[in-house]
Amino acid sequence: MAVYDGLKATQEHLLDVARACALAAGRAPALSHRLELMAEIVTDDDLNPMIDVLATLGENSAFQLHDAVAFQDLAKRGMMPPVLLLGADLTKPALWDCGACGFKTCGEYVKYTSKNKGVGIGGYGPTCVWKAIDFGMACDFACACAARHCTEARIMFSVGAVSMMLGRLEGASFVLGLPIGPIGKNLWFDREAWKNILNFERKMMTQMAGGPSLWMAFSGGGNPILKTKPKWWEDPTFMKVEQDATFIEKDVNCQAKAYEKIMRYRGVFSDEDIPA
Amino acid sequence: MARIHIDEWPPYSPSDQAKKDNVLIVAKLMVNAALTAPFTGGVPGHEAEIAYGQKELELIAREMERLAHKEVPERLKKPFLYEAVMVRESDVVVFLGNKRAHETPMDVGCGLCGGEPNCSFVYERLNHFSGIIDVTDRSRDTAIKGPVCVVRAHDLGYAIGSALWVAADCFVDSKACYSVGLAGRNLGFCMNSEIVAGILLGVASKNPYADIPPNYHLTNMSKQVDGIRKITTITRQIPNHPYHTFDPAKKAGSKDPGKEE
Repeated sequence: MAVYDGLKATQEHLLDVARACALAAGRAPALSHRLELMAEIVTDDDLNPMIDVLATLGENSAFQLHDAVAFQDLAKRGMMPPVLLLGADLTKPALWDCGACGFKTCGEYVKYTSKNKGVGIGGYGPTCVWKAIDFGMACDFACACAARHCTEARIMFSVGAVSMMLGRLEGASFVLGLPIGPIGKNLWFDREAWKNILNFERKMMTQMAGGPSLWMAFSGGGNPILKTKPKWWEDPTFMKVEQDATFIEKDVNCQAKAYEKIMRYRGVFSDEDIPA
Repeated sequence: MARIHIDEWPPYSPSDQAKKDNVLIVAKLMVNAALTAPFTGGVPGHEAEIAYGQKELELIAREMERLAHKEVPERLKKPFLYEAVMVRESDVVVFLGNKRAHETPMDVGCGLCGGEPNCSFVYERLNHFSGIIDVTDRSRDTAIKGPVCVVRAHDLGYAIGSALWVAADCFVDSKACYSVGLAGRNLGFCMNSEIVAGILLGVASKNPYADIPPNYHLTNMSKQVDGIRKITTITRQIPNHPYHTFDPAKKAGSKDPGKEE
């Protein structure tokens, strides 16, 4: 006989749910029947490199910062959820000659890919579209399984991408991360730690960027006022489209810093190459 | 008092029709699940359409057979023909299409489409005005007009996955097919999408989408049943007899009326 602490017991249970989700992903139906799914469960301190790199990228990108801050907070509170990484090599074609990738045949696709394979912020390409759809079905089954086990089902591009860059699931061209948890109510929606990261003004700016016309005054003059405050007609703010060299420079620096961190974690660079 | 009798045989009899009505309910619930599946950025971008009824399904099967013989590569010919049989054995077909992959990319520079840290691979190969893609030219050189935004297409997988999860939860057999989706799209199902998947739904004691023998388009049950209809009529014309007055099975010379050879 034993008495278990409820929170501790549920936190430990999350790993079992992660295993169940990996099982569900592997059992997902497919269209191409050629997907070779890879999975890995990463827990606790092993997630630190991912969060560190994510925070670096987040210095100039809100969506990566959004996740980095949330993970940092969960780690601090001892509530770090295990993360199920799902990945696959989506660059191998389904051999259907369907044309969705932009090439007439899978042969032409392979010829191009063998010379032009490259990486963006989240994955390697070019990609076979049907493989990407099959991979989506596998990820969806993992999410549905998580939901059935009363855990969160917020599958993430951000943590998956940095995991791939850090060398997890070697050979995968695309990796997504499904945190199994945290325990508690809707913590990915209601992120406590995010409350004070963006002030009201920045929150409003982000919202306006999503739909400026909602706040736009008469545009017939060719230089519309953007109503950014209650007395918007006094000392007005104008809508303007311009190049932003400062942002670009900051972005390039962030990417470089993140890349250096990744190379250090992967043991490619050390202090001898570049002093920390 | 009302009675609903349900039996899977004969096909399209009132008893089978009652079963098909049940499957239609599941199909509708599957569409709900597809629309609430997790999508990149939570952005809506999918459409669904349901095909139901013998004639409707027959038209889809025939378009698949046309594709098999005229358009798809040789390695897809038999899968397309076999899956056309499965369409005829299905109760309902659900189409799920992604409206965004070919028209409104995610524009995030993920790298999946062309391996570059921007979306140039797609935009350099499509007709667009400052990033607004023109889809009004709907002519195609390939089955699907590409390239498409891969991260958007990836979303379609979640829609299909959640729909299939619901089907499995309701113990309805299902199969998602490229062939069915392509045929349906050509016939105008989910017409705002370039990439469409077709989901077959069937309720039968034997899963209609598993255990497929060779040349299934020629050896399936409907062919076998027709084989019986084709032969039995001929056969019965030979051992006929004036049954009102004569029973050939009766033992000759016997006084016992029940006694047979």
